Amino acid sequence: MLLYTLRRILEFVPTIFIALTLIFVITRLVPGSPITALIGNQSVDAAQIDAITKQLGLDRPILEQYLEWLPRVVTGDFGQSLFFSAPVAEVILDRFPITFALTFMALLVTVAVGIPLGILSAMRRGGILDYFGNVLSSLGMALPPFWLGFMLMLVFAVSLQWVPASGYRPMEFGFWSWLSRLVLPVLALSVSQIGLVVRMTRSTMIEVLGMEYVAMARTKGLRERTVILRHALRNAMVQIVTVIGLVFALGLGGSVIIENVFALPGLGELITTAAIRRDYPTLEGGIFYLTLVALVINLMVDLAYAWFNPRIRYA
Amino acid sequence: MTPAAAEATTPSTARSALRAIRRAGPMLLSGGTVLALVVLASLFVPLLVEIDPLGIDVAQKLLPPSAEHWLGTDEFGREVLDRLIIGAHISLRVAFAATLLTAVLGIALGALSGQYRLADSIIGRFSDALLVFPGFVLAIMILAALGPSELNVVLAVVVLYVPRVIRTVRASIIEFRSADFVQAARAVGVGDMRLLVVHILPKSFGPVMVQLTFGFAWAILVEAGLSFLGLGPPPPSPSWGNMISAAREFIRTAPWIMIAPGVMITITVLSLNLIGDGLRDLVDPRLQGKVGP
Repeated sequence: MLLYTLRRILEFVPTIFIALTLIFVITRLVPGSPITALIGNQSVDAAQIDAITKQLGLDRPILEQYLEWLPRVVTGDFGQSLFFSAPVAEVILDRFPITFALTFMALLVTVAVGIPLGILSAMRRGGILDYFGNVLSSLGMALPPFWLGFMLMLVFAVSLQWVPASGYRPMEFGFWSWLSRLVLPVLALSVSQIGLVVRMTRSTMIEVLGMEYVAMARTKGLRERTVILRHALRNAMVQIVTVIGLVFALGLGGSVIIENVFALPGLGELITTAAIRRDYPTLEGGIFYLTLVALVINLMVDLAYAWFNPRIRYA
Repeated sequence: MTPAAAEATTPSTARSALRAIRRAGPMLLSGGTVLALVVLASLFVPLLVEIDPLGIDVAQKLLPPSAEHWLGTDEFGREVLDRLIIGAHISLRVAFAATLLTAVLGIALGALSGQYRLADSIIGRFSDALLVFPGFVLAIMILAALGPSELNVVLAVVVLYVPRVIRTVRASIIEFRSADFVQAARAVGVGDMRLLVVHILPKSFGPVMVQLTFGFAWAILVEAGLSFLGLGPPPPSPSWGNMISAAREFIRTAPWIMIAPGVMITITVLSLNLIGDGLRDLVDPRLQGKVGP
């Protein structure tokens, strides 16, 4: 297990390295310099432009910039945000808890609904629940999550007025005040994830139910309940758990647009505003941080998977 | 079909193939019909009726759906229905161009990495790296760098999706490289290139088609998302995502402006996913019910 862990962590390093390099290259594909975007319509003389260019190091050769940039960002220093007068790392850490709360709650809802629905669908193939699960998952994967967000807002905030339409309140203002503003975003994010999880769980479960040991358990005369819970589900779970890592990464990606819909000041909202304002240090930092979290979670899931399933370690 | 394969078609696989067709048929038919309706409407309605997606008429602004304005009007008095139909052009055009380019690049690069070890390690590294970014943050970054335009949305979608196609093509090349029929062809003296193009690549056609169908659906969602964020084709071009984005100000007063484009996206994506599901069941009944892309 130790060896496997070490190997996985070693594989992790070049991946991060390439991801960082891609981030660097893409943000420097820019036609025109970020300075044009930065100064906008203000009238600035050439000397000032020069000063800003120097300050950002944009006057030096690209390779030199890269060699200076890489060791800096590896330590988490993405420099100063061009719009918030604060270091990028600070802005990111400020906003991450909101994104984390959103994605984590969406994950909980997804697992709580998706996995049971998938299992029941597999157990009663062709039944009403299977049909319902199929419609829900097909629809869930076709609905644009941001539009679904607005529709939820329309129904639950504008018409029924059960929860506020958008915005964010920290928990200090009271638990409900905090939660009520997250309910709709969490729902909007969960629906497409639930679709995916229902399908994956269903097909894994169907596969397991076709195994010989399940037939064996039935032949022994065990109750169907025991067959499903003790024999089939336990083995299917190993596969299903890996879905959780996938869903979390999906949620992090999806949060970018959902935060925008509900005006939640999280990391995703930071990334989209940075993209539109062309605030490159913030954009680079935000995207890297989000990617890093997704990667770490995937690594953890992989390790957990190997822990439960020793065959993987030696493959 | 090779003689060996024909022989292998025992009654039981024939029966399962029949079952696959019976299962796939309704999905292909319903998905195909809806998609055809969307495409035909977007192509032919502008020829039959006068359509003016940009015609501003402030006196007629924010009118709810009625007999005169079927889907209502927006904040500039433009017909929502007209914009929806023209919006279909943009959304489908972007998604189609992206899918086509993904297919060409994916097959070429996938074939290269299936064939040559050096190419494999380089292409493999890059596609792995492209896949680590969650969701479409990579697309956001690309559009932030290149600026919002239809072409750049196409490029971003291609960059995001091409690694998946590369993997599929590569996998089927590796699977069939040592198959008997390939060995036989090689023994007869068929050259490497011909072997690849005539004998091996066609084997990946099915899985790639399935993947591209899901990719098409996904491209529509990505385009809509990027447009919504203000990173897609710039307004006033009425892409579905742009319409949703512009409608958010009026969600309380004129929700119909927002509802219509979202419904169109959902219908189109749903029908494409159905086609993908159907194709997958046809291509490989073993994968029945598995998630697509």
